[in-house]
Formats: sequence, structure tokens, C-alpha cells
Amino acid sequence: MSAQTRKSINISLAVFSVLAVIGVVCWILQLTKGLQMTNLGTTNMWGLYITGFMIFTGVAAGSLFFASVPYLFRLDEFKPYCRISAYVGAVSSIVAASLFIIVDIGNPERVWLFITSGNFTSPMFWDFIILLSYMVISVIFTRQLILVHEGKKDEKSVKPIAVLAFAAGILVFVTSFVFSFQTARPMWNTPAQPLSFLLAAFAVALAVLIILAFILNKIGYIHMPVPLISKMAKLCALLLAAELLIIIGEVLVGLYPGAGGEYEAVSWLVAGGGAIRFWLEMAAVVGALILLTRQASEKGGTILFGAIFAFAAVYLIKSNFLQAELFHPLLNYAGPVMYGDGAFYYIPSLIEIGVSVGIVSLGAFLLVIGLRALKLGE
Amino acid sequence: MRYAMAIDIKKCTGCHSCSVACKVENNLPDDIWWNRVLTVGGENMDTPMGKFPNVKMEYLPINCQHCENPACVKACPVGATYKRKEDGIVVQDYDKCIGCRYCMVACPYSGVRQFNWKKPEYAIDIAMGDKDVTKHQYNTVEKCTFCVHRLARGEKPACIETCPNRARHFGDIDDPESEVSKAIQGRTYFKLLEEKGTKPSIYYLT
Repeated sequence: MSAQTRKSINISLAVFSVLAVIGVVCWILQLTKGLQMTNLGTTNMWGLYITGFMIFTGVAAGSLFFASVPYLFRLDEFKPYCRISAYVGAVSSIVAASLFIIVDIGNPERVWLFITSGNFTSPMFWDFIILLSYMVISVIFTRQLILVHEGKKDEKSVKPIAVLAFAAGILVFVTSFVFSFQTARPMWNTPAQPLSFLLAAFAVALAVLIILAFILNKIGYIHMPVPLISKMAKLCALLLAAELLIIIGEVLVGLYPGAGGEYEAVSWLVAGGGAIRFWLEMAAVVGALILLTRQASEKGGTILFGAIFAFAAVYLIKSNFLQAELFHPLLNYAGPVMYGDGAFYYIPSLIEIGVSVGIVSLGAFLLVIGLRALKLGE
Repeated sequence: MRYAMAIDIKKCTGCHSCSVACKVENNLPDDIWWNRVLTVGGENMDTPMGKFPNVKMEYLPINCQHCENPACVKACPVGATYKRKEDGIVVQDYDKCIGCRYCMVACPYSGVRQFNWKKPEYAIDIAMGDKDVTKHQYNTVEKCTFCVHRLARGEKPACIETCPNRARHFGDIDDPESEVSKAIQGRTYFKLLEEKGTKPSIYYLT
């Protein structure tokens, strides 16, 4: 590792730790005053934290999946970068995904009940098991890859764990069951959702890995050729395009009847309280598609911006997916005022944003620690 | 044995007495309502549906439906909400609730489950309600209990006794001689969102 690379790593460690500390301060504030510090309410009881959970579970699953693919399908050119991808899945994103749940629940000190009193019929419990399995699989996988890199192990020995990582990645569709199994939520309760979750998870994981590749290239930690990154970009675009088709389908299916619950929710999304963010979502998807599929320049700057757009697109897709449904419950007759009533759309509070930035920074901090301490580079 | 409730929509005048009785009996914190009387069709509470002069008032009292197949019980990751085997009442264990609000997401009867977003605060300084009511907890979800503390003493839920029009009936739906079974006999009724497969225990008489 060059001195320049080491310096960049140290600076980023300092920045991420400051941001993580700010996140902790925000969380302490939330713990002392309660979830009233968020902009959530009785109707929209889930928000930014759950969106963060969806995204980072997706990143964990996707990065595990993409770390396994080169070993299963003999894509030798990608193999030197698999360790980084496996580590992103092993530590950073799993920690981030778990913390997004921890900060969302009212009584984090009771989280051990997941172990002592887990309810096997609850999709959220299944998610807990899956996250645990990701953690185990990806730690073993990362270690195996490092051993192979050091020449202490044969490449063939990686195959069994790579198969597991591949399967675990696909299992991210179980995450969608938290939402898609709920008959009380018609917009989520469709067979398209598990597929949509899978597409979004892999797309956002690729977006993160592409951004990471650019940063690590820039500081000289790796030297990944732009044509290779471009291949990842094209796959990311393909996944996003499929996701876009599902969204267009959902919107048209909802609008066509011209009345009724689903029509109201979709109209709110495209022309009501949710419109600004829906059209931003569309702009981000289309922008990402254009930038990711354009002929890359020598330095590949368009790809980097495309990946940033893709990340924003998936965030907006997940956030809008949540809010459009929550703001349109099956029973919405007028009644006594409940906590949080009167809101027509949801914007996260500063505390929520602070906590979320802190969580992502902690994930990034752990990533940089890994980059420094483990042999993840070339 | 399975407890059930019948609410006669024809008799309900939307006086909100049941909501208030519930609020007082269970010493509900500010912003929390286990039992609400919704106004059907009107834009705001207690406003009519339709356009003048063709207006109509209709109410829908709503509390936890104590479903036979409760979506909340399936959803709760830690089993903090469960159905009592002996009488079918769906209860919430405050000491176990982690506050994830997944039950609120899963319940089709929006708003019957409510969350303590802040430390419970009360409109007056003196605690109201029955001494046997479980203490409310910060950061937990709560809801109608069919007044289990009263049932334990052989009394009916507070909303049943308070309703001035006797629009509410309660009892064991498995017993043909119970008040609720008799109230349903010969009447047409509907159950809320029955198509969702939750098998609610509240019968709305029409």
C-alpha cells in the first residue's frame, strides 16, 4: 500500500468516525425522548430506518452474490476484486442493516427476545435468521478468499462456500416477505414484490460496488480496469430497467380502474402528496439507465455518476413503495385524532437523517478498517 | 369458548361514549384511543356523507377485532402479541413488545393498534381507570383488551356497559344463550374486511 493510499484511508477513517459519533448523539437523543423525535406516526409507522434496512440488506445480499459469481462461472478477470465485495457483504452492510432495525425499534434493549422468544411465523424473524446466515457465510467466504489469495489454499476449496453465498444472495427475496405477505397492504401483497426486491437488491449492491471501485482506484488501493467496471454498470442498468418495468406495471394496474383504494394510493404517488419523490425516482432511474449504458470514457466518469443515480433511484423506489401504501390504509374514515394525524406525506426528521448518516458512516468506517487491516486489495 | 362483540350500527348515534368510557377505564395516555367511533363517508369526524340536502350520517365504532386468525400475531417477531387459548382474546404483552410496529403494519384495521411514541402523558394529573389495568409503557404498542381485567371479575367490557343506546353486545359466541349470540340471531350482519381472511370477532348488525 502506497503512502498516498494510506493517507487517504486515514483521512476517511477520521471523517467516518466523526459522522458515526454524530449519529450516536442523534440516537441517544432519540432514546431519551422516544420515537416522537422521528416524523413517523400511527398511519406512517415506518420510514427512513426501514428503507435503510431494505437497502443495506440488499447490498449485503448482492455483494455476497457478486463475490461468488466469478468463482462459480469462471470470470477470472473479476476474481481479484471479490474479497472486497465479500467483505462489504460480510461486515459493512450487515452491520448497517441490523443497526437500521435496532434504531427503528422502541425498545432496543429487548432485541435479545429475537433469540429467546422468536416467532417462527413472523417474516421479520425469518429476516433475522437470514441476516445471521449472511454474516456467517460472508465471514467464512471472505476468509477463504484471503487464504486463496495468499496461496495458503487451493482455489477449488472456495467452491462450496461460493455456492452457499450465491444461494444466500438470491434468498434476499425473503426480505420482501416482510412486506409482500401482508394482506392488509394490497400494494405490497403481490407476487411481483419478491422479484422487485431481488432486482433492486442486486442493482443497489452493484451501484455501491461500482462507486467503491472508483474510489479505491482513485486512491490506488486497486487498479480495476474501466471496461470491467463498465460490465458491472451494464448489468446494473439491466436490473434497474427490469425494476422500472415492474414499477410502470404497478402504476398502470393501479390507475386503470379509475377509483378505489389502490387507485387512490397510486394517484397520490404520481400526482398527489408523493408526486415530487415519485418523479424524482423516475428521473433517477432514467438518468442511471442513460449514464450506465453510455460508452464509457477512459476514466469512466459517466459510470460513477450513473451508479450514484442508481443508488438514489433504489432509495426512492423503496421509500415511495413504503409511503404510498402506509398513507392509504384500508379503513380511512374520519375519526378522533391519533398521533401523527394530519401529515399527507413523510419527510424524515433531522434526527432520523443524523442517525441514518451515522449508521452508513459506521458501515463505511468498518469497510475502511477492513481495507487497511486485511489483504483485500491486489 | 370465544368472546365476541356485536355492534348494532342502526342503534349507534355516534355519541362517542364508548370511546370515552374506554379511555377512562383503561387510563389511556394522550393521543391513544383503543376504541374509536369513525364517521362513514364524511370528510371530517361527525360530518355527513353526501351533498346537502341529500345527506346521511353513519358511524362505524372500531376497536381491535380480536380475530380468530390474527395477522398481528403471525407478524410479531417475538410473540409479544398472542391469542389466548381459553377465550380467543388477542392480547399484547407490554413487557415483551420490542416496539417494531410490525403488528400495526400487518393489521388491516388501521389504527386499532397504537404506539406510545412518547412517555405516556395524561390529560389530568390524577390517574384514572381501573386499578387492575396494566400500566402503559413507553415505546410499546397497545390496543383494546376486551377489558380482560373486568372479565376476570365477571364484568362486561366498559364500552358495553356505557353505550346509552345499548348498541353493543358482548359474550361467548360459542354459547347460543349468550347475550352476543342472541343479539345476532335473526339479524343481518357484516364483519370488517372479512375478505382479508382474519376472521374477526366483531359482528356489525345492520
